[in-house]
Amino acid sequence: MTAVLEVSNLRKTFGGIVAVDGVSFEVRSGEILGIIGPNGSGKSTLFNCVLGQLRPSAGDVRVDGRLTTGMRPCDLNRLGVSRTFQLLQVFPQLSVRDNLVLAGQEHQGSMASRLFGLSDAGLGDAAEQMIEFFRLSNLADEPAGSLSYGQQKLLDAAMAFMAGPRLVLLDEPAGGVNLTMLGHLRERLQAYHAERKATFVVIEHQMEFVMALCSRVLVLAEGRLIAEGTPHDIRRNPTVIEAYLGH
Amino acid sequence: MTRAGLTIVAVALAAAVAAPFFLKPFGIFLISTWTVLTIAAIGLNLTLGYAGQISLAQGAFVGIGAYTVALLTPAGVPFFAAFIAAGFLCFAIGWALGYPALRVQHHYLAFVTLAFTTLVFLVLRNEQWLTNGIYGITGTPRPTLFGWTSSGARDFYFLCLGVLVVLSLATWWMLHSPWGRAFVALRENPVRAQSLGLDTRRYTLMAFAIGSSLGGLSGALYAPLVQFIEPNSFALGLSFNLLLMVIVGGSGNFFGPYVGALISVLLPEWLRVAQGYYLIVYSVAVMVMMAFCPAGVLGLVERASRLVDGRRKAISGTALHTGGTSK
Repeated sequence: MTAVLEVSNLRKTFGGIVAVDGVSFEVRSGEILGIIGPNGSGKSTLFNCVLGQLRPSAGDVRVDGRLTTGMRPCDLNRLGVSRTFQLLQVFPQLSVRDNLVLAGQEHQGSMASRLFGLSDAGLGDAAEQMIEFFRLSNLADEPAGSLSYGQQKLLDAAMAFMAGPRLVLLDEPAGGVNLTMLGHLRERLQAYHAERKATFVVIEHQMEFVMALCSRVLVLAEGRLIAEGTPHDIRRNPTVIEAYLGH
Repeated sequence: MTRAGLTIVAVALAAAVAAPFFLKPFGIFLISTWTVLTIAAIGLNLTLGYAGQISLAQGAFVGIGAYTVALLTPAGVPFFAAFIAAGFLCFAIGWALGYPALRVQHHYLAFVTLAFTTLVFLVLRNEQWLTNGIYGITGTPRPTLFGWTSSGARDFYFLCLGVLVVLSLATWWMLHSPWGRAFVALRENPVRAQSLGLDTRRYTLMAFAIGSSLGGLSGALYAPLVQFIEPNSFALGLSFNLLLMVIVGGSGNFFGPYVGALISVLLPEWLRVAQGYYLIVYSVAVMVMMAFCPAGVLGLVERASRLVDGRRKAISGTALHTGGTSK
């Protein structure tokens, strides 16, 4: 399988603190890769360096073989790399439908053609399909801010998929979601993966969620990659157990 | 827009067309001022209300537009060419002023734009060779279009109203295109917007440039309206007044600037019965309004209409329930 994302010797320091310390890994086309690690292990910083929100102190990031280190998030998104954030990030005053259209509109035509083109940028049907897929049909015209936390998490994930990305990075998608909604979210992500053969990278604390969703797992501790393997292997890895339990 | 909304707009437009036939010259001057300042407020509403970029420079753009027309028309440039030049000039300067907005936000950005307004004021006052300094410029001619002259108060009002309608339709179009959604995204969450492919840099600059351009076009009508312009008219007071219009009307609401400008232009005149105290009464009225309806007058109207809708639904729900159990 070819690598969609390659990260080589990525390092990020904040003053004297090394948040990410020479991390290298690759994400293969069509896989769901999990990244786990205790609090403060550098997972979100790693994500932010890969996605252009932070500029790495050293190292390279490549998407489909193309060097993207330090590229602006909007340019990366147009290359087919999408993400969700650890904290909920929908646009509360826009309707669910408008949130989804917004998530795809910048991939349609040029800025000038968007001004003179259709109000929904020709994404009306695609938005409807996504609304149906994530089972938000009865909420399509509601402002996103009026949805429950779990429903907003679903919308957040749906927005990340709206432009048909090659690679989606999900930063703690299960954070703060109740068990019923968590099962629903996992099932929708698995269905999307099966249907569209999308490539995911998931950062998560909820171990059951990661173990059930991911085919391969990387473990970070103190900014370093300490283990890699199938969920089954990771559960039994003594280094991982030590990093989590601290003995 | 709903049918009720369309009806309100049609009635308001009919009232705006009929108004000058029932008003004395000063009344016509006031409603002309309303049309002109509404255009500037629409621009600021775009920059601030939709795109979330605070600007205290809108008054300066009105000044740049006014001086552009006041300087070009006596030199033989046709009014409409000078009008368009004012729009383009302010677009270019607004674009440049947008660059600080890429680095600073909120009150820091307010200070940057405030400094710009002061700078424009100083240029207008001190560069006497160009602007005639504190003596100002008088007698900017009112335009003639295909043989029809707008030199009369009523004719010029209709010209201003026509320009307001055209610019309103253009703004409505833009805000209902994907650009409008992008501006709101920029205001609500620029980091997320960027992660969805929005070039926030370009949209920020565009919001500044288009908003400033509308300020310039407003100024281009202001000069022939008042026929005497001088630097003090475009000092910080005007920028604050325009900000007040947007916030009192309802920031981020399409019709907010129309209502805000109406209140800002007419309320001080209505309060003249309070003689020397009218500014105090006006200020207190604005403070009370902001304390009780921070979303502006239209925010209050929306809240009331939601309340009425909610009650109506509750009543119809109760009626349905009662009907169901009686059978």
